[in-house]
Amino acid sequence: MSEDVVVTNALTKRFGELVAVSSLDLKIPRGVVYGLIGPNGSGKTTAIKVMNGLLRSTSGSARLLGEEVPVKEVIHRIGYMPQEMAIYTDLTVHENLELFAGMYSMSRSAFEGAEKDLLEIIDLAERRDSLVATLSGGMKHRVSLACALVHDPELVFLDEPTVGVDPELRKGFWDYFAGLKRAGKTVVLTTHYMDEAVRCDIVGMMRLGEMIAEGTPDSLMKAAGATTLEDAFLANAKEADE
Amino acid sequence: MNGHRMLAVARKTLRSLRHDRRTAGFLILMPLFMIAIFGYTFGGDLKDVEVAVMNLDIGGSNGSVADTIIAEISSGDTLRLIFLSDDHPDPLSAAEGVVRDADAWAAVVFGQNFTAEVEEGIAAMRQGLPVASCHVMVLMDGSNPNIAQAVMAEVTTAVQRVLVTEYGLYPPMVVLQEMVYGEEAEFIDFFAPGVMGLAAMMVTLMLSIISFVHERTNGTLDRLLTTPVTEGEIVGGYALAFGLVALIQSTVILLAAVILFRVEIVGSPLLLLLTIFLLGIGSQGLGFILSSNAKNEFQAVQFMPLILFPSILLAGVFWPLEAVPELLRPVSSFIPLTYAVDACRSIMIRGWGLGEVWPQLLILAGIAAVLLTLSAYSLKKRR
Ligand SMILES: Nc1ncnc2c1ncn2[C@@H]1O[C@H](COP(=O)(O)OP(=O)(O)OP(=O)(O)O)[C@@H](O)[C@H]1O
Ligand SMILES: [Mg+2]
Repeated sequence: MSEDVVVTNALTKRFGELVAVSSLDLKIPRGVVYGLIGPNGSGKTTAIKVMNGLLRSTSGSARLLGEEVPVKEVIHRIGYMPQEMAIYTDLTVHENLELFAGMYSMSRSAFEGAEKDLLEIIDLAERRDSLVATLSGGMKHRVSLACALVHDPELVFLDEPTVGVDPELRKGFWDYFAGLKRAGKTVVLTTHYMDEAVRCDIVGMMRLGEMIAEGTPDSLMKAAGATTLEDAFLANAKEADE
Repeated sequence: MNGHRMLAVARKTLRSLRHDRRTAGFLILMPLFMIAIFGYTFGGDLKDVEVAVMNLDIGGSNGSVADTIIAEISSGDTLRLIFLSDDHPDPLSAAEGVVRDADAWAAVVFGQNFTAEVEEGIAAMRQGLPVASCHVMVLMDGSNPNIAQAVMAEVTTAVQRVLVTEYGLYPPMVVLQEMVYGEEAEFIDFFAPGVMGLAAMMVTLMLSIISFVHERTNGTLDRLLTTPVTEGEIVGGYALAFGLVALIQSTVILLAAVILFRVEIVGSPLLLLLTIFLLGIGSQGLGFILSSNAKNEFQAVQFMPLILFPSILLAGVFWPLEAVPELLRPVSSFIPLTYAVDACRSIMIRGWGLGEVWPQLLILAGIAAVLLTLSAYSLKKRR
């Protein structure tokens, strides 16, 4: 099972003059955790939005699970956690989860099982019936993550899933991602934490809308003669400038 | 269209309203407040209008005709009489002064020889001689037409009644009125259906504008659109939820109208609620469309007066469409509320059924269908 679940061909998104994503060629195989890293404004979120059909690409194309974007047939097999807190603060944790489960037409029993597991992972079982508005910032973020995962998607896009989450829970998240991977699921995430990036199977480094380097964390560091991913990124950025 | 997903959207919309106690309370209390304010303000007929009486009549052998008329007026409760002392060098201007100082809405003046003149006139009439009518003088503050009208009506009827009861003088020609509809109808019966429609429209419009702007600014709408739910299902879910809110509200208004103001519902309450539901989902669609170009709540509610004022003034809520200037009548026919109020009124007062009000309902359903389709399309455009 080594088919590519995400494929983009010269995917480009312009906002007026600004080229937010520039001719992106991606091939992400099934069953990996793929990390997009890069400074603020480098185009990570834009690329993910185009792939999820929220923005129309300026040129180029993208395929998810074999279907041309914007997908229709495979949409229920994909999950998406936006960077902003896109959950209903005037609903409880449970009601948010139930809403998203409803969007995927999950059966009651499947939902109940998934909810129980996810609440454990985001450590909010006791806050199940709290209004999201009354949760802390990190807690809200965790609810948002759970909403993206409730329907057990085989491909999931997580835009900065661990921002504002405490170290202990972050570790829990990564164990969970590893579990998803073992189950043959694909995780595409963005992060600014280099200690997280090294845990990805493949890392894509973006800068000014362009992919400047891609590979396993080890190969990236080795190629740049660096001991950390951070240094590897800086070395690649410098090279791209020249 | 997937019914389950639509219901899920409807459910979440109602749930957020439920969590927001203040808004939920507002949704119930606002219509109560509206009907109570309107009901008590316009509701009952006029009562206790202060009217001064200057009675200079010296009477005759059979007493004073002026006194009989005054007694007749006093027997009703529309006017409250203030008796002026005739101990003035110029009683007429004294009476006028009372009206001028706004101490009374009107002053009724009976001349010194009133009884004598009346009896003379009646005697002449009986003998077939020419009659010189004598008069009762009413000095009127006409600044409030409603009140002026009521005072004149009271005084005139009292005079006529006295002529009939005291002198057996029946006018040779009368106008007979027989109510086909609205036997017991008062003004409140006329505007209760209007207020009901207005409240339903206002609230669904406001709710949908605000929730939709929220959905967009919070990114939840975008997020929903990455799930299998379709634009149509989102719009449908909202329509269902807000239509239900409009129904609950209308029920409150109807109950209040019936209990507090003894408004009579001659026709089917279910048909009434169906009308309101159609109006509600139409307004919800309108709200979606209005807010689709707004960046925040403030921009969105700027449209409210633009919709509300024409609806209040031109849809026949408080005065009949016939009172709308010719020039503006075409506007009335573009306002959904016009049809809803018309249908509700016919159902409540005339007791009409589906067989009679179907054209209005069909138009309302058509408007709702168009607006909802457009609003689903306005979501789609964002992709
Ligand atoms: N809707 C938009 N209209 C105009 N420009 C936009 C829009 N969205 C993003 N941009 C621009 O596109 C560029 C890429 O933004 P993007 O959000 O993809 O960056 P990012 O890599 O996700 O950054 P961060 O790490 O801060 O999340 C930025 O310069 C941004 O200003
Ligand atoms: Mg981003």
